[in-house]
Amino acid sequence: MAVVRRGRLARNRLYLAGLSPAAFLLALFFVGPALWALGSSFTNRALVGIDAANPRFVGLDNYVRLFGDPDFGRVILNSVIFVIGSAIIGQFVLGLGLALLLDYAQRRGFLASNFVYAAVLLAWVNPTIIAGFLWVAMFDFYNGSLNTGLHVLGVQPINWLGQGPMLAVIIANTWRGAAFTMLIFLGALRTIPTDIYEAARVDGANAYRRFWDHTLPILRPIAALTLLSITMATFGTFILIQTLTNGGPAFQTEVIALYAFHEAFQNHAVGYGSTISVVMLALNLGFAIVFLRWSRARA
Amino acid sequence: MTATTIGDQLAGPAVSAPPPRPKARAGPVEWIIVHIAFVAISAFFLVPFLWLLSAAFDGKASAYLQLPVEPTIMNFVRIFTEHDFAHVLANSVFVAVATMILVVFSVSLAGYSLSRLDLRRKDWITYAVLLLQTMPISATMVPIYGLARQLGLRNSYLGLILIHAAIELPFLIWLMKGFFDSIPRHLEEAAWLDGRSKLRALYEIVLPLARPGLGIAAGLAFLSAWAEVLMVVILIDQDNLKTVPLAFYEAMRTQGGYTEVQFGVIAAMAVIYLLPVMVVFFAARRLMVRGLMSSTRGL
Amino acid sequence: MADVEFDEVWKQFASQTAAAVQGLSLAIPDRELLVLLGPSGCGKTTALRMLAGLEEPDRGDIRIGGKSVVGLEPKDRDVALVFQSYALYPHLSAQDNIGYPLKVRNLSRQDQQDKVKRVAELLGIGHLLPRRPAQLSGGEQQRVALARAIVREPRVFLMDEPLSNLDAKLRVHTRTELKTLQRDLGTTMVFVTHDQAEAMSLANRIAVLNAGELQQIGTPDEVYDRPANVFVAEFIGSPPMNLLDASRDGDALVVAGGWRIPAPGAATARNGTVRVGLRPEGITIDPDGQAAEVVAVEPFGSEVIIDVRVGDQHLKIRAAPDVRPEPGSNVGLRADPGAVRLFDRSTGVAVR
Repeated sequence: MAVVRRGRLARNRLYLAGLSPAAFLLALFFVGPALWALGSSFTNRALVGIDAANPRFVGLDNYVRLFGDPDFGRVILNSVIFVIGSAIIGQFVLGLGLALLLDYAQRRGFLASNFVYAAVLLAWVNPTIIAGFLWVAMFDFYNGSLNTGLHVLGVQPINWLGQGPMLAVIIANTWRGAAFTMLIFLGALRTIPTDIYEAARVDGANAYRRFWDHTLPILRPIAALTLLSITMATFGTFILIQTLTNGGPAFQTEVIALYAFHEAFQNHAVGYGSTISVVMLALNLGFAIVFLRWSRARA
Repeated sequence: MTATTIGDQLAGPAVSAPPPRPKARAGPVEWIIVHIAFVAISAFFLVPFLWLLSAAFDGKASAYLQLPVEPTIMNFVRIFTEHDFAHVLANSVFVAVATMILVVFSVSLAGYSLSRLDLRRKDWITYAVLLLQTMPISATMVPIYGLARQLGLRNSYLGLILIHAAIELPFLIWLMKGFFDSIPRHLEEAAWLDGRSKLRALYEIVLPLARPGLGIAAGLAFLSAWAEVLMVVILIDQDNLKTVPLAFYEAMRTQGGYTEVQFGVIAAMAVIYLLPVMVVFFAARRLMVRGLMSSTRGL
Repeated sequence: MADVEFDEVWKQFASQTAAAVQGLSLAIPDRELLVLLGPSGCGKTTALRMLAGLEEPDRGDIRIGGKSVVGLEPKDRDVALVFQSYALYPHLSAQDNIGYPLKVRNLSRQDQQDKVKRVAELLGIGHLLPRRPAQLSGGEQQRVALARAIVREPRVFLMDEPLSNLDAKLRVHTRTELKTLQRDLGTTMVFVTHDQAEAMSLANRIAVLNAGELQQIGTPDEVYDRPANVFVAEFIGSPPMNLLDASRDGDALVVAGGWRIPAPGAATARNGTVRVGLRPEGITIDPDGQAAEVVAVEPFGSEVIIDVRVGDQHLKIRAAPDVRPEPGSNVGLRADPGAVRLFDRSTGVAVR
């Protein structure tokens, strides 16, 4: 008996050892920073000056200041607006629409649908910094393609980055992220055999009916999880907004990731920046727990 | 007549799945509407890239979408002669390849170990890994800066490679675990009985079978490191260590007004920078998509 | 209840070189069970789908109850289709599946429930109503699909190989049930299958198709006894009809091995050669008959199939279960003159 048990543990010991390089890296660069941020948030650490060399422990001062700061309120508001606009309205709806269109087109034998599919994917797959560059050009006031398009339609050019920055970053991020929801919904739509739609046709259902009775029930279960997924992914957007507007003008697009960055590296308040990071991580953890619970419930 | 026994036996193989039916042709109205939608969607997603291609070959590039006003390859020449792009590019290649190697090593070991682990709490580890996957990297920018500074890992490729490898680990461990799960244990058990040590059995027997998974992991690790910008911004500020995303980042940051952006030159850099991404994208679209699906971090 | 007519129907798919259905003309009177029989790719399913309205013919007309239905949506044709895959809605219970066509027609809830209950009991699946398709066996799913078709009381039932996915025993059992059901309901039915035994047992008439063309239409007896061409002769019946090349010699036909078969007095093809068809039961073992070598003996309980070689040709003979010659031994064969069928050697068409 004892021999068997020792053997089992010994075997596992080897596997646990195999996990150790990865665990080490993960501990150092996931857990480590989280703990560091937490610790630092209780100090007044700065980038330069006395507080850089000798940071003082300030307890919950940073948090009190943060939650009392109207700027932070503005930042949260911006982040919420951005997530609603880009993730919920933009990426989710656009992704769903694309999935429905492409699924329909593929079933009907439209070959061009592969091209469209690749185009949507390309926007998602390219490095974010490139996406930022591309959209700086798109939003250019005098020559950018958006204003050119408006001009063709006889509409006045818009100063996107200057006067409509939130809308601009929402558009750019929607462009970037629609592929994700499209892929998830397309995957679900493809599980429906064409036979089902034909049977419904013969049973007397028109196109609207077929969508409502047979397509929607397949999409409904994954919709909530997908929405949460895309919300979590959008919540941390940084580079795209920074290259386009850097949070401005006048704080209009300052989302939470940018706020942490600016406080730490422009205002040199690393402790305060850590506080914001901790808030971000805590919010994300909350989302993640809900996500795990929902996906386990579905399994 | 004994139709029942003989007839059924000699009737030939039962067709279980109906042969795939040729698709019905769509009517003209339907065709037009679908293709209008296709054109609009493709335009939205591809115009930025069309602009990029044109601007890269344009001596007088602006944000305007047009055929090159002054067709030239001088932009490409200039980035190598005036902007030291070759050096930056080489840096990126080095970092990406090194990260890829480190990742593949630790991920195959960890994935295998996690797959073969036989503990009651095994699920907890898997969930912990999934949880880490959802963390937004932008939230860790500030603490990793602080941590790296204290550990002396700033401006060193060691730090950058380690951190970036860590970032990619959660998803790729989960991916490789899946691959290893599908490889039956009998194979390595047979090797153990034959006298091979665990490690050698893994190397000789299991890994060759997991090659497709390792290929995916390597490809994704490379591309992810290739596109990495957040950590580079935080950790590198020495010129000679710059990678391409950082060069971009700085080029975009130093723009005063829109007209000062040197679109042509930056576009040329972007085109070259995008080449590996495009190669992998077209070669392994489906794999790439499956990989990226679960690793959206939102930058 | 209505009659169905195909009138010179042509259909070609852009992705294929040959037409799927070529000049199909069929008249199916009201209340008949017609089986469309043929190998895969022969166009039978395409013809059925055109009848249902899921495909449209390129040329020709399709009429139900005397009125053309070409261009009409499936729902306006008042036909019901049972798919080979059953096409049950996976997210709905059996009850909701069966009731779906009624729901689409906005019948009251009470009416729906009543009708569904009645049909379910007719098919013996009343106890399965609350379950989802995934929780049902193949046979049960098939009945739900059937119920869904019946509940609509359509003018025509269309069935696309609905029994193919059932295991052999269930298939045979359900066949009989279907035949009785159709007779009781009195609704015209068009049934597609590739299984000739199935066709023979079910059909009032069989329409044999090959490569998009109608080969023959007739009752099972007609198709079995008087095949119109070599294709039908070989497709119907198992073991298939024995076919031998023959040349005329006066009153008889000479086939392989010098075997002389008394001819039924009919003419031969103009070039003097002909193919002779003999069903396995049309040849008997006769010690005075043509010599043949026994190759294999296959006992089937109620009968025996003996594989023999005459000259360079193989024949299969149906014999009583106690007839058991030794493989390798010689037996004598005698052909029943009444069972001899003649076919033109080049065209394969039957010669009267």
